[in-house]
Amino acid sequence: MLKERGQLKFEDKWPAMRLIVLKLLRQESVSPAEWQDLFYDVHLVCLWDEKGPSKLKEHLQEDIVQFIKQAQARVLSHREEQALLKAYIAEWRKFFTQCNYLPTPFRQLESSLQGKPATGTANLQTSNNKKGQSEESIVRKLMLDSWNESIFNDIKHRLQESAMKLVHAERNGEAFDSQLVIGVRESYVNLCSSIDDKMQIYRENFEAAYIQSTEMFYKLKGPEQLAANGVQAYMRYADNKLREEEARAQKYLEAGSNAVIQCCVKVLVGNTLPILLAECAPLIKAGETDRLQLMFRLLERVPEGVQPMLTELESHITQAGLADMVAAADIITQDSEKYVERLLELFRKFSMLVHDAFNDDPRFLTARDKAFKAVVNDTTVFKLELNTNKSIGAKSVAPESKCPELLANYCDMLLRRTPLSKRLTSEEIELRLRDVLLVLKYVSNKDVFMRYHKAHLTRRLILDASADSEKEEDMVEWLREVGMPADYVNKLARMFQDIKVSEDLNSQFRVSTTRHDAINIKILNAGAWARGSERVSVSLPVELEDYIPEVEEFYKKKHSGRKLQWYHHMSNGTITFANEVGRFDLDVTTFQMAVLFAWNQRPNEKVSYENLRLATELPDSELRRTLWSLVAFPKLKRQLLVYSPSVTIPKDFTEHTLFWINQEFCLIKNSRPQKRGKINLIGRLQLSTERSQLEDNHSIVQLRILRTQEAIIKILKMRKRITNAALQVELVDILKNMFLPSKKMIKEQLEWLIEHKYMKRDDDDINTFIYMA
Amino acid sequence: MSEEPEPMDTDNQKSEKMFTLKKWNAVAMWSWDVECDTCAICRVQVMDACLRCQAESKKDYYGKQDCVVVWGECNHSFHYCCMSLWVKQNNRCPLCQQEWSIQRMGK
Repeated sequence: MLKERGQLKFEDKWPAMRLIVLKLLRQESVSPAEWQDLFYDVHLVCLWDEKGPSKLKEHLQEDIVQFIKQAQARVLSHREEQALLKAYIAEWRKFFTQCNYLPTPFRQLESSLQGKPATGTANLQTSNNKKGQSEESIVRKLMLDSWNESIFNDIKHRLQESAMKLVHAERNGEAFDSQLVIGVRESYVNLCSSIDDKMQIYRENFEAAYIQSTEMFYKLKGPEQLAANGVQAYMRYADNKLREEEARAQKYLEAGSNAVIQCCVKVLVGNTLPILLAECAPLIKAGETDRLQLMFRLLERVPEGVQPMLTELESHITQAGLADMVAAADIITQDSEKYVERLLELFRKFSMLVHDAFNDDPRFLTARDKAFKAVVNDTTVFKLELNTNKSIGAKSVAPESKCPELLANYCDMLLRRTPLSKRLTSEEIELRLRDVLLVLKYVSNKDVFMRYHKAHLTRRLILDASADSEKEEDMVEWLREVGMPADYVNKLARMFQDIKVSEDLNSQFRVSTTRHDAINIKILNAGAWARGSERVSVSLPVELEDYIPEVEEFYKKKHSGRKLQWYHHMSNGTITFANEVGRFDLDVTTFQMAVLFAWNQRPNEKVSYENLRLATELPDSELRRTLWSLVAFPKLKRQLLVYSPSVTIPKDFTEHTLFWINQEFCLIKNSRPQKRGKINLIGRLQLSTERSQLEDNHSIVQLRILRTQEAIIKILKMRKRITNAALQVELVDILKNMFLPSKKMIKEQLEWLIEHKYMKRDDDDINTFIYMA
Repeated sequence: MSEEPEPMDTDNQKSEKMFTLKKWNAVAMWSWDVECDTCAICRVQVMDACLRCQAESKKDYYGKQDCVVVWGECNHSFHYCCMSLWVKQNNRCPLCQQEWSIQRMGK
């Protein structure tokens, strides 16, 4: 048996096998028995005939090629392009299906050809499984390669051309069977038998042709459109086409390659970039959000396309903002409410623009923020202010924006009991305070805001003038949230605690004494409220002076180790003034009280300035200021005091200037004199003297110097050595929540620290600093 | 009319002065009665809570009231918190090296 089998020749078996193979190729029906026979025969041939496998392969190839040749003839018999495509696709599909069946019986052949002795089916099975599908079958490769070499190479150009013609027709709006193009593409993809790069044939032929034809198409159409319909319409055209091409590519091309779209972008957007960009500034100016959005969508696709838009946006916001501020300078510098509202309106307008036109893209938000910063910190409006406002002009540093001061004033208007805060609901006030914080974010000299805000808060708490104490404390937390320095926020929080402690103390005091309904005391922690502020001496009227020892006595019982200092420039009260016309309640400062009470002994006398000075013992500047507030109070038609000779500024009072009580004083309402009434003459409560206001401004500068030194040392301590550039960056980062250190100041402080041996320059590189412990 | 004094106000005016006090809101500041503003141990002003208290009780508002000042017999003063830690190591005044004994405490 074995010997006989050994004699088995390929030639004996092939004719029978061939019949089945041909049937398979032609997709004719094959009975299960024939199918099985084929397996068996392949097995036998490979096992018993030494030359069997190679012969088998040879003959198989011959038949496949033969079959393909016939198919080719059938395809080429069609002259018309669509028919040709259709025929090709049909033939290909048939053939490709067979590529999945025919190799199966020849597995044995494959292992033999690969030099692996197939000892058993079980073994074969496992090795096959191991190989899995990743390894292409030899027979399959044979089939595909043969197709590729014969039919495909001959007609691929015709195929491609036909397919591209169809796509071109579609671009021009003609309908056709898209399956044809898809079919061609599939054949390109499946045809590749290379294991490393399955897309090779597809990419090198089909995709390349597709890209080329696309490029050609738009190179022609793009400029045509631009010339015919103008830039605006062209942008819409380009945008539409790009989207169309994206959809088309999804339909006709294999996924994973973006080359076509990139090519389209290059042709449609890249080539016309300067023309498109020239359109940007006018669009921003006109606030054409839809068109800007369109432009953004287009330019985002090309590198360097968005950057010029960002620059345009930034410069537009800056210019528009500044122009607006300068135009309204008169109102703005006088009225902080108008200023802040104007600023916010500006912000809203441009934030809306960025939102609508650029979908809040982070790059555009940054450009917007940069512009806002420029507007807020600009000194043009401030400089206008310099000429009229001496106390601020006296600062010894470069002029800064008045913005933080105005912001703080606005906060005060919202938090104090004012016509504004009465008009608004609690929610509206909160919203506006949040707005202030938003603007504050862009302010570079935040320390100025803090100083003013604290001063306003002090006034509100001392005068009990807060509109809503809950909101006051909320505001402190919001300031904390937006990153105001903790030590500053803590100080504010401490003032609230302290005022509560003081309120408790006041009620205890009022219980302990029966005599004094007229007095409220605020005894505050000097550390939290008034560090470094200077007191003003005054000789109190007897009516007030009486209270002092009793309060001090009471306080001594409550506490020990403490000393009390009276801050009469902060204290205030209400007095009743009775004259020939009627009786009026006046809210006055203690200084005003001291001056007015001087007339109690001599109601109708004219008193000289010098005598008032002797009576009150107020310092010259304070007395002048206080008198001025009584002879020229802005809200009064009839003033409380009359004087002579007349002057225009308080400085011009001489020691002989005479003052007397206006016995005809009354309040006037609707141009009719009133017999009763109440008026507040306190104005803005003075927290410090004139001199210390100057010092106040000076101390902002001083504090900045210390903060800068502190921050430099902190950085050096951590880094040990650092380049100048890196140091500057870190420094700004640390200080930015307080102020923006100027280059000049940083340089001065570096020199100072080097001189005092806190640090030194590197011997080899003067731009590197080294920490010295 | 204006020549003769108004009958209603004449009685009052005799007892009442032209200006009468209705309400006075007096403001005073308290501070520790110390010779040196700064606590020599923690280098923080005695009016503020000591360094340790500041770090620990950021949220404990009323804790700050408890960070009081203490005076020794030598009349030197420190935060009570600082001093009570100090004496555990060295029972002398950090400034004058005298034996430390408390003269009084701030309240």
